[in-house]
Amino acid sequence: MLSTATITDPFIESFQTRYIPLIQTMPAEYYYLHSSPEFPMKRLLAAGSGSIYQIAKVFRQGEAGRKHNPEFTLLEWYRDGWDHHQLMQEVEQLLNELLTPYIQLGASCFMSYQQAFEKVMAINPHTATRDELYACADKFKLSGVLDKSAHRDRFLELLFSHAIEPALGIEPETGKACICLVYHYPASQASLARVGQENGVAVARRFEVFIKGMELGNGFHELNNAQEQRARFMADNRTRQQMGLTEHPLDENFLAALEQLPDCAGVAIGLERLLMVMSQTEHINNVINFPFERA
Amino acid sequence: MASYNTNEFRSGLKLMIDGDPYAIVDNEVVKPGKGQAFNRIKVKNLKTGRVVERTYKSGESVEAADVMDTDLQYLYNDGEQWHFMHPETFEQIAADQSAVGDAAKWLKEQDMCTITLWNGSPLLVTPPNFVVLTVADTDPGLKGDTSGGGGKPATMETGAVVQVPLFIQIGEELKIDTRTAKYVSRAKD
Repeated sequence: MLSTATITDPFIESFQTRYIPLIQTMPAEYYYLHSSPEFPMKRLLAAGSGSIYQIAKVFRQGEAGRKHNPEFTLLEWYRDGWDHHQLMQEVEQLLNELLTPYIQLGASCFMSYQQAFEKVMAINPHTATRDELYACADKFKLSGVLDKSAHRDRFLELLFSHAIEPALGIEPETGKACICLVYHYPASQASLARVGQENGVAVARRFEVFIKGMELGNGFHELNNAQEQRARFMADNRTRQQMGLTEHPLDENFLAALEQLPDCAGVAIGLERLLMVMSQTEHINNVINFPFERA
Repeated sequence: MASYNTNEFRSGLKLMIDGDPYAIVDNEVVKPGKGQAFNRIKVKNLKTGRVVERTYKSGESVEAADVMDTDLQYLYNDGEQWHFMHPETFEQIAADQSAVGDAAKWLKEQDMCTITLWNGSPLLVTPPNFVVLTVADTDPGLKGDTSGGGGKPATMETGAVVQVPLFIQIGEELKIDTRTAKYVSRAKD
């Protein structure tokens, strides 16, 4: 849908479009195409909708490749009164049910972000220093990709996407595809999730789901503290400024509704990627009628 | 200096990496739902043929390699260098052993070859996919054997050794696939 504001995430760029009134005496106004239906859905939840879902086309700039199309489809839903652990169970059940007729699945796995790092590179992602992460990147032949001065989250993202993610959702003993849920990301990567204490460490109550080395979805135990959310948006905008990107106006409609958001958990699943797993195809273009190159 | 942004990456693009020219074999966008995007590429070293993986932050620029392919006619070998000529401009270029490499055994005077130039100098010589060469030496053929079931080595006029059917005789012209070093057929006039 069209919106006057958009997300501030420094690594997601929205499409912007111009609205021209029929009687052209008024100036044109700019609107964004949504990169996920999250903000308006949370406004509905805040208005008392209860649990809701939708399937929506979403749009993201610059994301084109084997696993990306700038226009793609999200199944997004929210569970009133649930936390992320309950929602992870439901995601696992749903994917299991949907995929079982098409592919043989291995045993599902649930692991924390910390466990994923410890298993592959024996470091604690919450406490490792930037120097330790830099040395780790070196070990995985990823030296020089990032400056030594880069934010430690960039190192975590590099290590996760190159050294951990490719093996997630593949059963080690059999090589079969399986559903793998990774939860409790670093608090600095909370986005719109609540931050909570786990074993003395502040972590984001956020999860992602992977099959055959590919991310299919992202979920949160939703933050409903407008003040904290505003501070995160502003921090995003400062990062955007440092990166030379345009700052985005904050979505005040969303922030105003957030105080009324009930305790809930939400998740979005990329349906093209789900179809890729179902049809066992390696390129997203094989599950889209008119991929970007032929749009 | 010319450079390419990661969003221009595609197969075949020539890049300078650690001082050597490389060609992109495969480009993959690695973009987490939340977080920094990377381009992971497989690149082939145009000097050694070795394929390696590299990762760049999306949006970064990488120096372009001044590499181009040109079709030239092979003239002769002077003992040290192989000489080629552009069929229209008659411009001549000499390539040494490191550029010619294994291609040497397929080079026959007058044949058109693809020369990969790096900063204007020959980097690689690629012979035509198919060449017609005369058999310089092989064991006497077995009369009447046309089955092609067996085989024997034959040394061609350029020095290349190819497995050929038993009925092939010295002096015959054969069509050879240079990519597989395999006999295709007798050359048809």
